[in-house]
Amino acid sequence: MSARTCLAAALAAFLALAALPWLASDFLLSLALSCLMYVGLATSWAMFSGATQYLSLATAAFFGIGAYVTAWGYATLGYALAVPLGGLAAALFAAFVGAAVLHLRGAYFAVLTFGLGELVRHAITYFEKSYARTVGRVIADPPGSETVYLAVLAIAAVAVATAAGVRASRFGLALAGIGADEARAQTLGVNTRATKISGFALAAFFAGAMGAAVAVRWTYIEPASVFNPFIGFQTVLIAMVGGAHTLVGPVASAVVFSILTELLRLQFPYAYLIALGLLLIVLVLYLPRGIASLFENRAGRRAHA
Amino acid sequence: MPEPLLSARAVTVRFGGLVACDGVDLELQPGDLVGLIGPNGAGKTTFFHALSGVLAPDAGRLFVGGVDLTGRPAHVFARHGVARTFQTPRVFREMSAFDNVRFGWEFAGRRRAHDTFDSPRAILGFLGLEEVAAVPAGALTPARQRLLEIGMALAARPRVLLLDEVAAGLTQAELEASAALIRRVRDELGVAVLWIEHAVRVLMNHVERVAVLHQGRKIADGDPSAVARDPAVVEAYLGEEGEPERRAA
Repeated sequence: MSARTCLAAALAAFLALAALPWLASDFLLSLALSCLMYVGLATSWAMFSGATQYLSLATAAFFGIGAYVTAWGYATLGYALAVPLGGLAAALFAAFVGAAVLHLRGAYFAVLTFGLGELVRHAITYFEKSYARTVGRVIADPPGSETVYLAVLAIAAVAVATAAGVRASRFGLALAGIGADEARAQTLGVNTRATKISGFALAAFFAGAMGAAVAVRWTYIEPASVFNPFIGFQTVLIAMVGGAHTLVGPVASAVVFSILTELLRLQFPYAYLIALGLLLIVLVLYLPRGIASLFENRAGRRAHA
Repeated sequence: MPEPLLSARAVTVRFGGLVACDGVDLELQPGDLVGLIGPNGAGKTTFFHALSGVLAPDAGRLFVGGVDLTGRPAHVFARHGVARTFQTPRVFREMSAFDNVRFGWEFAGRRRAHDTFDSPRAILGFLGLEEVAAVPAGALTPARQRLLEIGMALAARPRVLLLDEVAAGLTQAELEASAALIRRVRDELGVAVLWIEHAVRVLMNHVERVAVLHQGRKIADGDPSAVARDPAVVEAYLGEEGEPERRAA
């Protein structure tokens, strides 16, 4: 597919999705929303972690921070302001934390970023209990489901567009170089530290904005529900299954996973999780570069022939 | 005497109790083609790491074009015109050969104009790698990966090129071709070259000056034929495969 047909297809998909609130049932709309939420989360995760190979488990932390910006600010700021502010808060947090931990690699980085979610969750729980004398927050007068859906669609669309732009840019080349051989990239003139921190913060922005956007659906927000490690794991899993080094992989995989989750989780809650775990094991063993790599190999062989 | 392009003053690097580089001084002028030799474990590669900012020295100072870069990260060295290769070629294996060269092109020294090349493709042409531009770097032969690594370094518009063992694993014919290429880099592009090589004989035939490291110290620095006769150098190489005197004869 040429770049122009890709763009046209993406635009058509966006317009069709934007019309959905007026066409689809409530159930379908909620299903589409959860697909789009994971499209945004997995795409932005892959933009940084897929390229640099820094496996971040901080998505839940960024998502929760965004959700809490809404919890605290929705009544005074309004929805339209709370969502970008949620993203900004998460990005600032990521830049601050990234400066401290982005020299670590591999398992150390993964464990540390996982710990971040827990840290923020407990910090907010403590703060709310000690100073606000509350456990959770009630969102009074939440926006309608169409508004939430359109906000999530907008964030997902901007995330995909940003990821595409980054891949084509000098910044994206630097991120890929860091993933391939960080010291080599540095000796070729890449300021690896600044690149990693900005990439981490950019990815966090989308997770934070997503958290801020969907938080209003819960009406009651508490740390345990918004700093849910499952959201972080699911994001990583989706991106890796799809192929975190590609653009289309995480998008397609987010759609498939979200639909499967919605359909199967209610009927077979345990079987679903077992299947998910098995799938992850099989993929890591036999297809570490995701399902997208199947198509790549075929295309690559054709190109060499 | 013009301002030296690269100047290492009493550079010392320690790993725990081991002193890998012990007060090494070295100066490179624009257009120099200098060899750096020494027995295994002499500290050559460690010295290169210091010269390119990969390792910060524990003592001593490093100047590039008169600017003190001691302790600065590697990308600052690259932006001041220091480019290097590694002992085992470190190319971006999954990127195409073209993208590997483009990488150097995009980041280091964007503000310095390239006199000779107007695109990454021109560099591939200079190296004779044009026909493999689209091939992933990891699929190239080791000899071509070494050439590509030189291409990545050249794309960064270097003023000085540090080559760490270009000859390892090459056939005699490939070796002579590499040596000829290195001369062209200096002659046609005007890039100063500091060249580490285990194949001492080939190196001695092509460089105009050679420095010798032994147990972290610089024991000789000068004309290759004089250095090959230097008793301290012969002593250092005794029992070594690459004894310069016998091999240079």
